Amino acid sequence: MSGVLAFEVARPVVLGVVQGAGVGLMAIGLVLIYKSSRVFNFAAGEFATVGAFGFYLTKSHVPFLVAALIGVLAALGTGLLTERLVIRPLANRPRVTLLVATAAVAIFVIAFQFLAGAQGKLFGAKALVSGNAFRLVGVFVSWQEIVIVVVLAASGAALAWFFGRTDLGLATLATSQEPTAARLMGIRLNRVAMLTWGLAGALGGVAGVLLPPLTQNFTPAFGTTDLLIPAFTAAVLGGMTSVPGAFVGGLVLGLVQNLTQFNVSSNRLPGAPSVAVLVVLVVVLVVRPTGILGREA
Amino acid sequence: MARTLERPSAGGTPSPPRTTVSELPGRGFQPTPAGWAARAGAVLAPLMVGVWYVRSNAPVRSDALATAAVIAIGALSLNVLVGYTGQISLGHQAFIGIGAFTSAYIISESHQPFLVGVVVALLVGAVQAVVLGLIALRVRGLYFALVTLAWGKVAEQCLFRLKSFTRGGAGAEAPRPSGFTTDKAYLVVCLVGLALILLVDWRLVATKAGRAMQALRESPQVAANYGVDVKGYTLYAFAVAGAYAGVAGALFASRRLTVQSGDFDFAGIALTYLIVTVVGGLRRRGGIVAFSLLYVLGGEYLPDLARAIGVRTIEVNAGYYIQALSAVLAILTLIFQPDGLGTITAPVGRWLRGERFQLAHGGGALGRGGGGDARP
Repeated sequence: MSGVLAFEVARPVVLGVVQGAGVGLMAIGLVLIYKSSRVFNFAAGEFATVGAFGFYLTKSHVPFLVAALIGVLAALGTGLLTERLVIRPLANRPRVTLLVATAAVAIFVIAFQFLAGAQGKLFGAKALVSGNAFRLVGVFVSWQEIVIVVVLAASGAALAWFFGRTDLGLATLATSQEPTAARLMGIRLNRVAMLTWGLAGALGGVAGVLLPPLTQNFTPAFGTTDLLIPAFTAAVLGGMTSVPGAFVGGLVLGLVQNLTQFNVSSNRLPGAPSVAVLVVLVVVLVVRPTGILGREA
Repeated sequence: MARTLERPSAGGTPSPPRTTVSELPGRGFQPTPAGWAARAGAVLAPLMVGVWYVRSNAPVRSDALATAAVIAIGALSLNVLVGYTGQISLGHQAFIGIGAFTSAYIISESHQPFLVGVVVALLVGAVQAVVLGLIALRVRGLYFALVTLAWGKVAEQCLFRLKSFTRGGAGAEAPRPSGFTTDKAYLVVCLVGLALILLVDWRLVATKAGRAMQALRESPQVAANYGVDVKGYTLYAFAVAGAYAGVAGALFASRRLTVQSGDFDFAGIALTYLIVTVVGGLRRRGGIVAFSLLYVLGGEYLPDLARAIGVRTIEVNAGYYIQALSAVLAILTLIFQPDGLGTITAPVGRWLRGERFQLAHGGGALGRGGGGDARP
């Protein structure tokens, strides 16, 4: 009896929290970019994939932490380049134009990954740390899962500190609320835009480095195919403007996806998690467009 | 042939002579007989080349050209949403795939002729698009783009894996119509499909519905004030886009002979078609068709070119190079030339219809907002 409960509820809940934290981190990146540039960043998934590639391609050559850093920096660089080369020249265009441009960035990065020798490969992602930490309602929680959640939560907390306590963080918030006034106060808008895009890239990179071990492998473009839609839905749950809302939204999405994954047979309804995500997205947008914690749609 | 009069160019950029009342077709400028002959020649020459090609054993694979026609129809479908009405769809793999599997089901499971498959795919495509359109009435702009993105994912992961509908992993069979089973003959089918879609699209924008959709794109509120039925025309645009995509899907399926869920992925279909639409030029029918052709021919010839130069990596990975190159082109198009390839094809089209040849006509499509040309 407890075995069934463990499989149907406890295991998906643990996995959901871990994956959800990663999705939440990406969602924070989406929210930051939306707040600062009013852009829906469809390249966000590829920030995560770049992070994953940076990490797993260098892991065997350099120390573990250095490889992780390389992954995050690669994603950060992708974010910066996107802002400088694509977003800034298009700053005054309709938002749909910017959306298409970020989608083009995504397809470019995807093609680039395949060109970097990733063709049709499934990349093995070994456990970051091995062993189980403890047993919870009949399921083992591994050290790896704990490490992932701790790192992701720490990143979220660091962001909260950054935006609440540092001058640069406050400047970013000010810019998102009132760009003209912020500029008159001597804040350089271009710097702030680069900062948010770089930050969003790095957040995606962290998610990309940490999430693949959960499924033991990843494919090129997994950020766009697997993470982008849940991350956007999480951001929408937070009203597109709330950073904590986006993180909570990520956890909700992680739980929804894993609970449906474990409880709906794929023979009866294949791809149940994707259906659940669509339902959550449409319901939130139609019933409560301001999200759970957000103020403005 | 109604022509809206140009406003004085706002940017003050030096522009070639604008069309004025006295130069409207039938009133002022008329091509000389030699001019008409040149125009007729410009139309006939490609046709002759086409006929010669179909009859000969030319090096380009017919299959590639059929692919180009399918991509063109799919991109024209996106153009109805993105270009004419200003709605964005990032889930076009669902649109195309539903058409493909519907047609395959009708032909191989219900044993109906090919044409019935196409027509049912068209109808089913229109219906699924209208359902999405109903959501678009409530959820606007970028948020709606998210819904289409999630819808595409549901189609990929759920709909296209339903065994009863798509035969699961084995793939659904979609035989070609009898008498058109060879690549060359099937190319003719695809070209006829493309020609019909172009004809419908031309009438679509030239009539009341086209003007209504343009008004919707500029501002739904203003359009409503002028008595445009916002709901009706939004759904109408979705139905049209879905119908085009249904046809594209049906042609896609029979070109492949079997279709599987993996054939309709986000990057390969939704993003690629979006990029073809953008680089071809929103509301620029000719540009879209031209870039579909270039996109496919690029993939066909790049390996040969790379072999000639001796770059092995490009030879093997031509498809990805084309993809990356198109993405860069799309971004450059958005930044510098919002009309895309239409910048070239639109003046040629006007010239063929008996006007003077002049570049720069009307506002940019995606670009400077407002003042768009009513005519693609």
